[in-house]
Amino acid sequence: MSKLSQKHLLGIKDITREDIELIFETAANFKEVINRPIKKVPSLRDVTIANIFFENSTRTRLSFELAEKRLSADVVNFSASTSSVKKGETLLDTVNNILAMKVDMVVMRHASPGAPHYLAKHIKANIVNAGDGTHEHPTQALLDTFSIREKLGSVSGKKIAIIGDILHSRVALSNIFALQKLGAKIMVCGPPTLLPKFISQLGVEVELDVQKALQWCDVANVLRIQLERQQIKYFPSLREYSLYYGITKKMLDGLKKPIVIMHPGPINRGVELSSDAADSQHSIILDQVENGVAVRMAVLYLLAGTAA
Amino acid sequence: MKILIQAPEIIDIQSPFHQQQKNVLINNGKIAEIGDKNYSADRVIKAEGMKLSIGWFDLGTFIGDPGLEHKEDLESATKTAAAGGFTEIAVLPNTAPSVQSKNEISYITQNNSTRLVQVHALASVTRNNKGEELTEMIDLHEAGAIGFTDGLKTIWHTDIFLKALQYLQKFDGVLIDHPEDYWLNLFGHMHEGINSTRLGLKGMPRIAEEIMVGKNLELLAYAGGKLHFSRISSGKSLDMIKAAKKKLNVSCDITAYQALLDDSVLFDFDTNYKVSPPLREKSDIEALLKGLKDGTIDVICSGHTPHDAESKDLEFDLAEFGMINLQTFGSNLVALSQAVAWDVLLEKVTQAPRRLLNLEIPKIGVDEKANLTLFDPARTWKLDERTNFSKSKNSPWFGKEVTGKAVAVFNNSKQWIDSDIK
Repeated sequence: MSKLSQKHLLGIKDITREDIELIFETAANFKEVINRPIKKVPSLRDVTIANIFFENSTRTRLSFELAEKRLSADVVNFSASTSSVKKGETLLDTVNNILAMKVDMVVMRHASPGAPHYLAKHIKANIVNAGDGTHEHPTQALLDTFSIREKLGSVSGKKIAIIGDILHSRVALSNIFALQKLGAKIMVCGPPTLLPKFISQLGVEVELDVQKALQWCDVANVLRIQLERQQIKYFPSLREYSLYYGITKKMLDGLKKPIVIMHPGPINRGVELSSDAADSQHSIILDQVENGVAVRMAVLYLLAGTAA
Repeated sequence: MKILIQAPEIIDIQSPFHQQQKNVLINNGKIAEIGDKNYSADRVIKAEGMKLSIGWFDLGTFIGDPGLEHKEDLESATKTAAAGGFTEIAVLPNTAPSVQSKNEISYITQNNSTRLVQVHALASVTRNNKGEELTEMIDLHEAGAIGFTDGLKTIWHTDIFLKALQYLQKFDGVLIDHPEDYWLNLFGHMHEGINSTRLGLKGMPRIAEEIMVGKNLELLAYAGGKLHFSRISSGKSLDMIKAAKKKLNVSCDITAYQALLDDSVLFDFDTNYKVSPPLREKSDIEALLKGLKDGTIDVICSGHTPHDAESKDLEFDLAEFGMINLQTFGSNLVALSQAVAWDVLLEKVTQAPRRLLNLEIPKIGVDEKANLTLFDPARTWKLDERTNFSKSKNSPWFGKEVTGKAVAVFNNSKQWIDSDIK
């Protein structure tokens, strides 16, 4: 079996194209497995995985937990809001306490960019970054990219527009890294205050007009407006945002070309994406969710293989 | 006790012995002889290849005394400073309480006439460094404050800044400003650029510094007075300061590391590199080196900012800004000497800060008081548990080999000589 080049999955920035392809190959196999009547395989029997979520999450945590259970791992869950942890125990203490109970892998979501990198310097267990603040969300990017490949046959040369709050989005950053490694062309689009000033230096195109971005792309990955992660006001109102940056089915039908609509969820229906657009034939949002489990199974399985 | 420093190169642009290799005999706190003879002494330091200058002066050292002694107290700060080659330090008022009454001044400056490392007090411009209400600056000056600053905090209030410039003119006092726009740097953790974009960290743009430098120079032109900008990081700031120097009484400093490190070192979120102003880009380093050479930058300081592990060994966005650098400052100078001549560098660490603060400048001459630093630019060493004198360990060089070390300092008839020196 081939191995990943890294012991942890901290970010897409740190892994190679070969790693990504290995994960996809493995994920494709697992996707077949989870569509069988008996969905469980014994691959991670006797491996204990802790899901440590310092930020709220429903689908990512559920997706990881399902992936772990289908691999027959033992699973423990820990959640705490960052603020309550801030008052008392440090991140390192919390994690060391959990590891003292003999945990082999840690899946962590945290509000601080670099929190899993910090942890990686201090602990031995494999770490999977399930989102670190405004930095990376590697498994989301992998499942997004996997879903594009599944839908369009390949990623190389395809035009992907990432639309919305790029500044606060770990999904955008990880997607850019992953898609670039696989040869896609990328455009980011959103209100200028939600686009990092130096984003074009990453080699992506910048567009301020949603209509033009939709016209340009094969795939539009529409991001959630991260009101919870904005420390100050970046735009005047949700009303104005939805009027000028929201995507409707009417806009998509008017393009007169095929387009794939993605969203990492949860959708603010009627804000960045109208309900009829989210539920339209263009959308692969639920495929993303399904692929999420398979991709996460692949990541956990391959990381466990690096421990030996 | 007689101590002979054998054959160092004397670096002191004001001394007739500048750039000469001489034997220097110190007897009871004074320079007794300078010459080629092998004077008899109780202790001989073989100093060939080393540099002897007047004692180094650190402008704007952060210590935590009073109030934050767990980071650094007067005792650890002076030991650390001596081991770094400093005979005098001017400490920032970011203490708890801040340095804003005679009490704090006398506490900080106690025993200055007898201790090896003299500690000078910079007093707060505004109460608790909040930028809102002026301190009693005349009284603080009378009590011994040598300069006025809110230290690591910017004086954001335009009218208070103006009033401070005016008020200090009564006694030719210097206003030391850390220029930083509060709103533009709010929630920022590193330089704004391609690397902050890659790391998903909110950036601190150059203009946050530049607009404050521009604004405060206008205020200086209007009000008159004496203004010093501390810890400059951008080339454009330097351009403005350079132009203003032609007609205004303005000066500036940088931290030594600012001209050595760029923000690419932050790729793995090492909080020891989280400093304010933030490490910027290669082009900024080039501009700072140019500023050192052409004299726009008057003073080089260590930027010593100690923090306990609980404030620093954390997630990046929760960690405090700053690194300890008194002891590694000399190795910074060695790195800078690749681009800037030694006499230029040492002038900015010896004469320039004292001149700025209206302090007496020591001399290297027979019968002068010995206020000296002996520095070995070739010595390799490690800052580690054994060699570190600071209470804190927040250095990016901790545990790593560096080149260049102060080996002895002399002041007030006292000396510290590195125990590793034979």
